[in-house]
Amino acid sequence: MEFPESNERRKKLGQAIMFGLSRGISYGIVALLFLILFFIVKQGIGVINWEFLTAMPTDGMTKGGIWPAIVGTVYLVLGSMLFAFPVGVMAGIYVNEYAVAGPVKRFVKMMTNNLAGVPSIIFGLFGMALFVNQMGFGASILAGSLTLGLLALPIVIRTTEEALKSVDDTFRQASYALGGSKLYTIRKVVLPIALPNILTGLILAVGRVSGETAPILFTVAAYFLPKLPSSIMDQAMALPYHLYVISTSGTQIEASRPMAYGTAFVLVVIVLIVNIAAALLRNYFGKKVKMN
Amino acid sequence: MTHLDSELRILKSDILEMWRLVVGQLEKGKEALTNFDRDLAEEVVENEKRVNSYELKIDKDCENIFALFQPVATDLRLVLASLKISNNLERVGDIAASVADFVLDAQQDFNKEILERTKILEMYGIANEMLADTLEAFDSEDTRLARTMFKRDKMLDKIDDEALDLVYDCIKAYPEQARNTLLVMSMIRKLERVGDMSKNIAEEIIFYFEAKVLKHKKKKQKEGDE
Amino acid sequence: MANKLETIDVHLHYGEFHALKGISLAIPDHSVTALIGPSGCGKSTYLRLFNRMNDLIPYTKITGQVLMDGEDIYKIKSSKIDHLRRTVGMVFQKPNPFPKSIFENVAYGLRVNGISDNSFIENQVEKTLRQAALWEEVKDKLKKSAFELSGGQQQRLCIARALAIEPTVILMDEPASALDPISTGKIEDLIFELKDQYTIIIVTHNMQQAGRVSDYTGFFYLGNLIEFDKTKKIFTNPSKQETENYITGRFG
Repeated sequence: MEFPESNERRKKLGQAIMFGLSRGISYGIVALLFLILFFIVKQGIGVINWEFLTAMPTDGMTKGGIWPAIVGTVYLVLGSMLFAFPVGVMAGIYVNEYAVAGPVKRFVKMMTNNLAGVPSIIFGLFGMALFVNQMGFGASILAGSLTLGLLALPIVIRTTEEALKSVDDTFRQASYALGGSKLYTIRKVVLPIALPNILTGLILAVGRVSGETAPILFTVAAYFLPKLPSSIMDQAMALPYHLYVISTSGTQIEASRPMAYGTAFVLVVIVLIVNIAAALLRNYFGKKVKMN
Repeated sequence: MTHLDSELRILKSDILEMWRLVVGQLEKGKEALTNFDRDLAEEVVENEKRVNSYELKIDKDCENIFALFQPVATDLRLVLASLKISNNLERVGDIAASVADFVLDAQQDFNKEILERTKILEMYGIANEMLADTLEAFDSEDTRLARTMFKRDKMLDKIDDEALDLVYDCIKAYPEQARNTLLVMSMIRKLERVGDMSKNIAEEIIFYFEAKVLKHKKKKQKEGDE
Repeated sequence: MANKLETIDVHLHYGEFHALKGISLAIPDHSVTALIGPSGCGKSTYLRLFNRMNDLIPYTKITGQVLMDGEDIYKIKSSKIDHLRRTVGMVFQKPNPFPKSIFENVAYGLRVNGISDNSFIENQVEKTLRQAALWEEVKDKLKKSAFELSGGQQQRLCIARALAIEPTVILMDEPASALDPISTGKIEDLIFELKDQYTIIIVTHNMQQAGRVSDYTGFFYLGNLIEFDKTKKIFTNPSKQETENYITGRFG
């Protein structure tokens, strides 16, 4: 059989165009990311110094530092994870290991997905209504952490569920076949295997939480505080909210512009550090799982 | 030891047992002829059933090994060789039994002179030794010994060629033993076949140990390998 | 030889799907029985009757009798199921050691069942690893992760793990299908060695393997047991045309 030469050329051309296009797009996205980072670093690096990181804001937040906002953000991230991680992991275990396939399980899964789609400002309102007012925590780190925790919950549940699902069923069966109970099997076999992937969920959740503004707006964030919070019932400043405040609603927006870029820079660095730490943690556990 | 190894070991031990039995049959046959021992001849005829049952067992062993283990290389050659060796041994067993039958057929003692002059005892001895040596060659992986079969078979052929004239002379010399002498003639014709079977067996031994096919080769080539 | 396991007219439904259609079969003690047949024929489902693994799948309905040593294992109290599973070891298709050390993998079954005497556990681990022909290869790295072993070694470790709690029956679900030929050979030799002490049922897609390791072979097709006989009989002269077609590869 004779195959026309032109067909070969057309195939080659088609390949080249499609391949070139997708390569161009993926490079473009990376370039865009670097552009944003470059922009923030270029604008923000100038104001970064020891004082900026460790001092209180002064002169209507056009001078001084952002120390309380850093501390507040760290507290909020830790607090929200302290709440979301155990609750989310347990919920994930229930959905994947215990819930019997059927309408109830489907409903729980659907609601978890819906929760993930709820706008963060709604979480803020809900947090204010429940924690701040109803439960009487007032605007506090506790109320803010719980609200942020709620926001992170769907992510933790979903990734836990996926991580458990990816554990091959024969591991469970092998444990049952040796006389292991369901709980023992989950504790000793399933969770250790799934842990690295569950920690990935934690990383994602931390990333999400540390950048949120809306949920803390009504529940914890202070416009300006002259001192660091001393208990979980205190209000706190937080980086994203601080950034929002000094770039939109300050009295001297222009004067505080460099401070805004510096704050953005610090926020990016903190998220980066958290991510790296979590990745290291995950690697460590991944190894430990194999080593133990 | 693998499962296949243990099956092959069983096969090997079966074939060796059959071999020893057939060698014993030939030896007893010779003794029965020499001493005109009708009881011993009877025993040889009776034992033929055992030889046959060994052949059936080895056939079954080989069939199972083929079906269950798909042997390859040396294992495959062992199974193939075993099939053919047992087949040849069974035919040697038949010969031993029919020679013993001739002994039973005789109505009087064989004249020593006739046994001497027709060279039947010499021939019997050579045939027995050949078969015994194939057993030795197989058991000790001695392919040189196996290769001696091709030359030794010629001695049997020679005796077989001369038999007609020798028997004719004996009949003239001892007319009262004419019937017995004709029985001896029949035995010689039978025993000549033992040489051919030993040769066949030798070829299988060489095939098993050296993976060389000697069948239908010129004599020169067979012995040239020595 | 006494029958260790027996099923009498067992039907199994997964929801609407009729997976086993009245299987009656007696499996002799201290023997290896191979179950062969095309995918979806019910052989794995049948295997899992004996340690009630099918119970874990929702909407499963089982009728008929499944006897072990004459006792119907589907009539026992649900609190005795763990005990049943202790007497029936299982080895799976892919090697699936737990994310633990080699030692702890073998010790797992002992610890699950409440044994805490360390010297007993140590003895049992060594004994079992020797039984599984793995001791010489791993004795210097018992504390190392099981994942550092090769696939074939992992599978022998899984066999050791199953043997550690001294079952009387071992179920193997295509135990060598993920392994290279050399490792497969080792597993097969091991099965051959173990049959003196255990009753072994092995599901396999590899007909040659069924021939090599088993004393009895059952051919399953579409949820029916077409033929059960001595392996030698099945592989040299099966009684049923379907069996002949399947083992000669003229199936379809």
